[in-house]
Formats: sequence, C-alpha cells, structure tokens
Amino acid sequence: MAFLQWRRFNFFDKEVVKDPQDEQVFSKLKDINISACAFGRGQIIVGDFEGQLYFINRQLKLSGFKAYEIRVSHLFQMKQHSILISIGEDEEGVNPLIKVWNLDKVDKMGNPSCTRIARASPSSKGSRVSCLTVHENLNNMAVGFEDGSVVLFKGDVTRDRHSKIKIIHQDTCPITGLAFKSSGKNAVLFIATGFKIISINVSVKDKEVKSELDDHGCPIGCSVMSDQSQDFQFVIGRQDAVYFYQSDGRGPCLAFEGEKLQLHWFRGYLVIVGKESKAMRSSTIGNQTIQMNIVTVYDIQNKFIAYSAPIPDVIDVLCEWGSLFVLAGDRKLYHLQEKDTQTKLEMLFKKNLYVLAINLAKGHSYDEDGLIEIFRQYGDHLYSKGDHDGAIQQYVKTIGKLEASYVIRKFLDAQRIHNLTSYLQALHKAQLATEDHTTLLLNCYTKLKDVSKLDEFIMTKDREVDFDVETAIKVCRQAGYYKHALFLAKKHSQHDWYLKIQLEDHKDYQEALEYIGKLEFEATENNVKKYGKILVSEVPQQTTDLLKRLCTDYKPSDKPLVDARTLEGEIPKILKANAEEFIHIFVNNSKKLTEFLEHMVRLQPGSNSLVYNTLLELYLHDYVHEQNKTVQESKGKITLDLLQNQDAGYDIDQALVLCQMNDFKPGILYLYEKAKLYQQILRYHMEHNEYTHIIESCKRFGTADPHLWVQALSYFARKQENCKPQIMEVLSHIDKKNLLPPLLVIQTLAHNSTATLAVVKDYIIRRLQVESDQIAEDERLIKQYKEETEKTRKQIEELKTSAKIFQVSKCSVCNHPLELPSVHFLCQHSYHQHCFESYAENDSECPACMPENRKLLDIIRAQEQSKDLHEQFHHQLERASDGFSVVADYFGRGVFNKVTLITDPPGKGRTSESLIDNSLQRDLLLAQQSLNPFDE
Amino acid sequence: MSYAYLFKYIIIGDTGVGKSCLLLQFTDKRFQPVHDLTIGVEFGARMITIDGKQIKLQIWDTAGQESFRSITRSYYRGAAGALLVYDITRRDTFNHLTTWLEDARQHSSSNMVIMLIGNKSDLEARRDVKKEEGEAFAREHGLIFMETSAKTAANVEEAFINTAKEIYQKIQDGVFDINNESNGIKLGPQQSRSQGGMNQAGGGGDSQSGGCC
Repeated sequence: MAFLQWRRFNFFDKEVVKDPQDEQVFSKLKDINISACAFGRGQIIVGDFEGQLYFINRQLKLSGFKAYEIRVSHLFQMKQHSILISIGEDEEGVNPLIKVWNLDKVDKMGNPSCTRIARASPSSKGSRVSCLTVHENLNNMAVGFEDGSVVLFKGDVTRDRHSKIKIIHQDTCPITGLAFKSSGKNAVLFIATGFKIISINVSVKDKEVKSELDDHGCPIGCSVMSDQSQDFQFVIGRQDAVYFYQSDGRGPCLAFEGEKLQLHWFRGYLVIVGKESKAMRSSTIGNQTIQMNIVTVYDIQNKFIAYSAPIPDVIDVLCEWGSLFVLAGDRKLYHLQEKDTQTKLEMLFKKNLYVLAINLAKGHSYDEDGLIEIFRQYGDHLYSKGDHDGAIQQYVKTIGKLEASYVIRKFLDAQRIHNLTSYLQALHKAQLATEDHTTLLLNCYTKLKDVSKLDEFIMTKDREVDFDVETAIKVCRQAGYYKHALFLAKKHSQHDWYLKIQLEDHKDYQEALEYIGKLEFEATENNVKKYGKILVSEVPQQTTDLLKRLCTDYKPSDKPLVDARTLEGEIPKILKANAEEFIHIFVNNSKKLTEFLEHMVRLQPGSNSLVYNTLLELYLHDYVHEQNKTVQESKGKITLDLLQNQDAGYDIDQALVLCQMNDFKPGILYLYEKAKLYQQILRYHMEHNEYTHIIESCKRFGTADPHLWVQALSYFARKQENCKPQIMEVLSHIDKKNLLPPLLVIQTLAHNSTATLAVVKDYIIRRLQVESDQIAEDERLIKQYKEETEKTRKQIEELKTSAKIFQVSKCSVCNHPLELPSVHFLCQHSYHQHCFESYAENDSECPACMPENRKLLDIIRAQEQSKDLHEQFHHQLERASDGFSVVADYFGRGVFNKVTLITDPPGKGRTSESLIDNSLQRDLLLAQQSLNPFDE
Repeated sequence: MSYAYLFKYIIIGDTGVGKSCLLLQFTDKRFQPVHDLTIGVEFGARMITIDGKQIKLQIWDTAGQESFRSITRSYYRGAAGALLVYDITRRDTFNHLTTWLEDARQHSSSNMVIMLIGNKSDLEARRDVKKEEGEAFAREHGLIFMETSAKTAANVEEAFINTAKEIYQKIQDGVFDINNESNGIKLGPQQSRSQGGMNQAGGGGDSQSGGCC
C-alpha cells in the first residue's frame, strides 16, 4: 500500500504567543466571547457576542469599543484600505446591520468612525447572514444569507449613496462561502452552498453571467480564495478532498481526507483546520473540555505538507504580521513561525530530496548562487550513488557558475566519457566553452567513435555556433574527421582551413578549386596565390580556367551573372587580378601558362609587361625547342605577331635579350627597328655577313640615320673578300647624299686590300668635277663682288671729294618740273618741298631710296643682333650638317666687329657707309664658304 | 489566448503507469524520473493547432490509486477525450484495462474518444505486454492505440493530438453537440456568439459556416 499522502515536513515552529511586556502567555482574550475575527493592516480584529470590537496591534496591545448593541457576527477587513466592514445586530430579532468603519478616522472617543450603516437584508423578511465578502475595489460587496440568497451591493461600499442592492442568487440551502476574484476588469463572485458551487460574473451591471461549477458544496468556513500562485482559484474543502475551481469550471482536486472545519490561504500555503480523525482526542483544561483540531499547512505548489499539529479547538487562523497565528479555544494565540529557507533546504538535503529543494528554492526566489549550490549538491549526491546520467543533468544546470573543471575532472576520472560529452555539449550550448572544452568534446566524440553525434554537433545547420570554430576544425582534422573539418570550414568561411584540409588531407583538388571559384574576389585571389602551384600541378586545366576568370572579370561562380544591383542600374565593378602575379604558379607547366597568358593578352590588351615578357619567353622557348621546321616557322610567326602587336606592352630591352638568347632573328631585327637601333641592325647584319641585308637596311634607314652608309662603307672596305658592287652602291648613296668628304672615303677605302682604284674612280672623278665647278663658281662670284665693291668705293670717293650737282629738273614724286622750294638728296633725287613733305617719313631720308636702304639696314641689324645669341649659335652648330659654314656665317655677321652701326646716330652719309660694310662682309662670307671642303 | 475550441481530456489508468509523466511531457516538455504519487486530480493545459484552428486542451490527470477512484470518477463527466494508459512492462496494468474502460464508459458521455496508450516504450528490454496485444485490445473495444514513452517523448505529442483530431472529426460529423458543455467541448470566446445564432441548424455541423453577424 502506497503512502497516500504528501510528504510531511516540519517547516513551521509552533509557539505560544507571549505578551512582550511581561513575558507571560498572552491572555488578554481570555474573557472575550469571540464571535468573529479579522486581520489585516497590521492588526487583528476580534468581535464578540456583546457587540464589542477589539483591535490587537503588533505589540499585542488590546483596545476596543462597542460597535453594536447586541453582537458582532461577521467582520471583513480590507487588505488595501483601512476599512473594516462588520455585520452585527443592534436590536433583537433578525435584522443584521452592516457597518463600515474607517479605521484611519478617529472620532472624539478615539474610536474608528462609522461611515455607513445599512440593512443587510433587502427583504422585509429577515434572515441571518452566513457570510460576507467585499471586493478590494470597494465597489462590490456580497452578503450571503442562511435562507440561500446572496445580495450584491454595487457602488461605493463606504457610502450609502449610489449603492445598488440586488439579489443575485436565490436558493434554498444556506450560503456557506463567498469570494470575489478579479481578473482584469472582470469581477467574479464565487458562491458556495452546501450543495453547489456557483460563479457569477458581476462586472457588467444587470448582466450577471452565472455558471454552476459543481454539484457538491461545502460547509461554512471551508472555502477560501487562493492567491496568484494558484491562479486565484476558489478552493473548497470537503470530506474527501480539496477542490479547486476556476471561474469557468472545475480545476484540480487534492484528496486530503478528513472532515474539514476551516480553510485558510497563507502565501501559497493552504491551511486546513480539520477534525482529529482517529481517536477523538480531547484534553481537559480546567473544567472545560476542549476539542482537539489538526492544523495542517499544505504547500500546494511543491506538493508537501509543511506543517501539521494538533491545536485545541481552533477558533480562527490569522495570517498577519507575516506569520500564521492560530487562535485556539483556550484563548491563546499560537504562532506558527515559518523556518527560513536555508533551514528548510538543509532539512531537505538531509533527506536527499534535492528536486523538492530546488523547487522550493525557486519558489522562494532563492538567489542563483544558492540554486547552483543545490544543483551541485544534488549532482554530487547522484554521482556518489553512481547515477552518472542524473548527476550530469544536475551539473549541466550549474554551468556558468560552477567551475567546469570540477565536473570534468570527476567524469574524466570515472571514465564516463558519455556523460562528459553531454556536459560539454551543454557547456557549448551555453556559449561558455573554452578552446580546451571544444577540444575535449571533439576528442570525446572521436573516442566514442560517435560519428552521428559529431555530425550533429558540427553539421547541424541553422544553429548558432557555440564553440570556437578554429579549434574544432583543428581537432577534427587531427582526428582524421576531414569531412567535418571541411564542413565547418566551409560553413564558417574559414577558407584557409578549408583549402588546407581539402588539399593537404583530402587531396580533392577539384573540389578545392571549385570552392575557390565560389569565393569573393579577394579571397580567391589570395588563395590562388597561395595554393596555385599545387592546383596547377594537379588540375591544370581547371586551374587555368579559374585563373582566366580571375584575371578578367571575376564573379564568384555561384552568383548569378547579373545581380540585383546591376539591374538597378549600378555599374558593376569589375574585379580582376593582375595576371603577372600568378605567373610563378605555373612553374613546370609552360603549356598552361602559355594558354593562360594568351588568353590574357587576347582579352586584355595592354596588360603588364611581365605578361608579355613571359609569354614571349614561352614562345621563344617553344620556338627554339621545336624540331619540326614548318611548325617552328609558324611558331616564329606567332612570336613575331606578338612582338608586332601594337598593344603588347613588353619591355623592349628584355624582349631583345630574350630574342638574342634564343637567336630569334626576325624578332631581334624587329625590336632593333622598333627601338630605332638602326646601327644595331646594321651591325647584326654585318656580323652575319649578309651584304644584301646591309644594303637594304641602309636604304631603309639611311634617311633616318645617314651615318649607316658610312658604316656600311667602312664595313665593306674592311672586308677581305671582293665586294665591289656593294661598295659601289654604298658609294653612290654617299655621294648622292654627300655624306662623307671624299678624302675620308678614300681614306676608308684605303684600308681595304682588295678595293681597287677602279671602284672609286668614278666617284673620285665625279667629286673632283664637282669641286672644280664649285671653285670656278666661287671665283666668279668673288670677281663679281670685287667689282661691285670697287664701284661703290668709287662712288663714296666721289661723294667725299667732288661736288654734287643737282640738276634734276623733275620732281621724283610728281614728275613735274621742279619749282622752288625743293629738296635735293645726294642720291640724285629731288622733290618739291610739298611733295617731299607729303611723302617722306622723316626729313633726313630720300623717300625713293628709303625702302632699299631700310632693307639693307635691317639685314645688318639682324646680323648684329644674332651674333650675340650664343645659345642659338651652338644650337645651330650642333644641328648643321656643315658646322664650318655656320661658324663662317656668324663670322660674316660680324661677330668680331667692334664697331656697331646701330649705336651711331643715323645720317645721310652713314647710309652709304653701311652699304660698303655690307658688301665687305659679303666678300668675307664668300671667302669662308670656299674654305668649307677642308673642314673635318 | 483565444481558441476556437476547448477540449477536456482525462488521463486514466493504474497507478505508476506514467500518467502524470505523460502530461508533464506534453505540457512542459520535460521528464521527471522521480514523481510523487498523484493525490487527487491534477490539471494541465496546452494549445494545439488542428486544421488551422487553435484548440485548447484541458487535461485532467487522475490518481490511479483505487482509494481515489470515487473522486476521480466525478471527472469523467465533462471529458471529451480520455487517455487510457497502461505500462508495457507490467502486465497487471494491462489486465486492469477492462475495469477502467467499463468505469469510463459508465461515467462519461457515450461519445467520449478513448485512446489506449501503452507507455514506457523506451523500456523495450523489460516489455511484458506485446504491442500486438495492445492493438488487439484497442480493435476489440473500438479504441485508438499508440505506444508512447514519456521519457523520450516518443509519440506523446501524437497521442494527444490524434485524440484531438478524432474529436474534431466527430464535431465535423455532427456527432458531438458542441453547445452542451457536459460533452467536454467548449467553443472559444470569439466563436460562441456566431455559433449561438445557428443553434437550430443541428447539434454539430461545420463551425466555419456560421456567422450571422
């Protein structure tokens, strides 16, 4: 037979209340014939059959006054207001009166003031009041009568006015219990009779909703309203059990057997006063026989009996001053003092009732540290009993407070890997795991070979990560669970790890490559740089493809080609890597590198020079190592194409070196040409003794660099073999362009042992002919100039010595006969004065001669000016093909002349003087020119 | 919380078969290995959804002890569904089923949906009652059958929900009079008004078709 009762504890201490003044048992109620009790707001109120009301305060001082003439029958103390409602009788007969007392307002006598007196019974036919309840809002008061009616007083309870009185229930059997429950705005009145439980929603006036909850009732005093912990259920006690009711129906029931006398509710405890069921024990005090009652305190929430003891003839149970007080038939107050939580817990620990302890502690809002201590104790207890599974459950609850190593060590020592695993899991879930914990957990998994758990731990998607990912990856990798490590790495974008594992452990290069292809640009770039070498060696084709993508317009491969942003009109940013940075990864795979670079060059003209250089190098390498002639040729062509490509940004010097190293002739020549190294071209041909090419290149580039011809000449001249035709040709070009003084030509050719005079005969003859022609011409000019000079000198002499006769008869301007006044010039021009004045710019020059004179003067002046411009002189000298002539020219301009014409004031005579000078200089100039051939 | 229907359940069966644990698992989703004896009748509630409708389940968990039988009997009335539980590791609990069933049939409304539950299916090693036997008993008496484990929560949810589905189906078929609360079915607060208008349309019927306002 199971024990059909809740566990019993002794959580209360019973003691008789003593008067604090004299330390004697409190006995002031000894002679009071108590009819009703109430409590609240710091005092206990007792009414008696003489109509007196007594107040007992915390210090147990008793005070009282007469409230009714005959007796007090019911008392109700509001908990939130200092208002006491009493029912009693002032006159004989059945005419109960309600009195409302304001305890804060004191009248002259020092007694509480009565604010309202009302007849309880609405009908003329009176009935005794059986119970009374008032809603805390002071707007509803219900009075139950022995005749089975319930009267509801609506409106302010403390005043008569605006009070509506209504019979809301009428039955035949007496009302035994009343209680208000307010849920939100609803106020529900529970009514208990001897045979029924009814609830009435009284919140809406005149629209009361009545529902019958049960067809059992309870005796008077055996109903109570529970508190929040039990959801404000109406509790009634019957012989067989205690029943709970909600406003709309029956709730649970608790089978506490025995006849109940009173039900009280105290802070989550149900206090039942019951009759001693077995032997009707009774004790005799003095000459009075006093019935013994059993007071039992039930903890409804945690399901145990907190206290149970016999107390003689209980009049009432008072829940005031934070404790329970039982007013017993011997007029003593028994104080039931609740033990403190710690004591209670210790009692429970002693009995190993940890679950209960935990619930209790929670109910008493025990602090977290205390709770965790209980969990730990419970865990230790279970552990010592060998219930490791249970223990770990408790330890899990201590996570966050209790040192994890305490638990871990315990289970490690016991080799309870399984339990340890679950603890560690919880630790991770709580986000409190350190790296070591993660490592340990994963090691547990691997030790247990529990792949599914491992899967769960690692592979569970949509879960927040509660462990250090990197550690997890590391451990998984070490333990050989590459798959898991990979998954983790992938999920948490640990690209480095992913690739490391994929490549180094898994050796799944294809997969790794695809993974890289899905990454964002930068990550891809870095990883390709990092792992490119191995990838190229393992999966060259795909790697090359990826690289091509990477270096042109990279987008992760799992992204749509056109993303939303592009559609919105945003210009997509083209991300591309520099191809040259990846060249090195193609080591040992020049074929793929070629492919890659070709692709790059094709798609991105103007790539970095390194790309072109490398590509060129590859081409050349191929070209050189190709055995087949025709293939080699075509390869040569490709190479040359590359070189000739306008966009190809290769480094010419390097390309040249490459071509030379690989002896790629077309390339070398092209590059020389491109670099304008015509001399080099020539020299190249010379080295290879290709005469026709030499001539050709001279012809091609001779205009750009005439010196080529000279070189060609000296080359041919030095040749031992007979190369007469070539020399002839070169000579003809030199001749045509007058590139070399004949003397030098002869000198050059003199080196050649084979060249005969016949070769140069024509040239020399022609040259000499030209020379002599020149000389003749020069001499003729000299002669001419000399004559002119002579003539001018004569003129000057003439002007100086002889008189000049002005006999011009006509004006040089108007061609009319001269008249006075007239102006005459030495140049034999005469003018009317008015003509002269109108024509002449100044009065010192002849208007007819002036333009000619001016011209000459200007020339002279220009020469004067330019002679000081040394810069220009040097410049000209450098540029000129014939430096000597420049020097001569400047000499002719009077570089060495001390006297300058410009500084002299202009005069009539001067004009002719300057003319003389000019002609002199011209002579000089001619003389210098004739010197020319002897230059160099 | 508003609901379309409220179903009242009762859990019955011998003491120690795991009735309270089933309830705890269903309402709180937890399992308590050490559970005190139920003294009287305990109470639990949970919302479920069937056919897109919120349904509140109010469950009475009764004491299995013979001595409380008189109290628990009064709870049969007003229950729309009953979970009749036995322990698959204890044949005697299975043998008592007939008595329980008689009791239930006698004290409840005839339409009450009864689900037979063989609990503790996690203790396969200690099994004493074959699944087939349970199935046979259920077939014989027109019950729904299921084996559950309150410890592992296997089938617990299903047991309660399937019962609710059965009741819901009966409402749809018009078997239950939803306006009679003694059947253990109550309309939700927002539905009762619209339903009130079609009282004459016949006891059950589709609650969705109503709505005069």
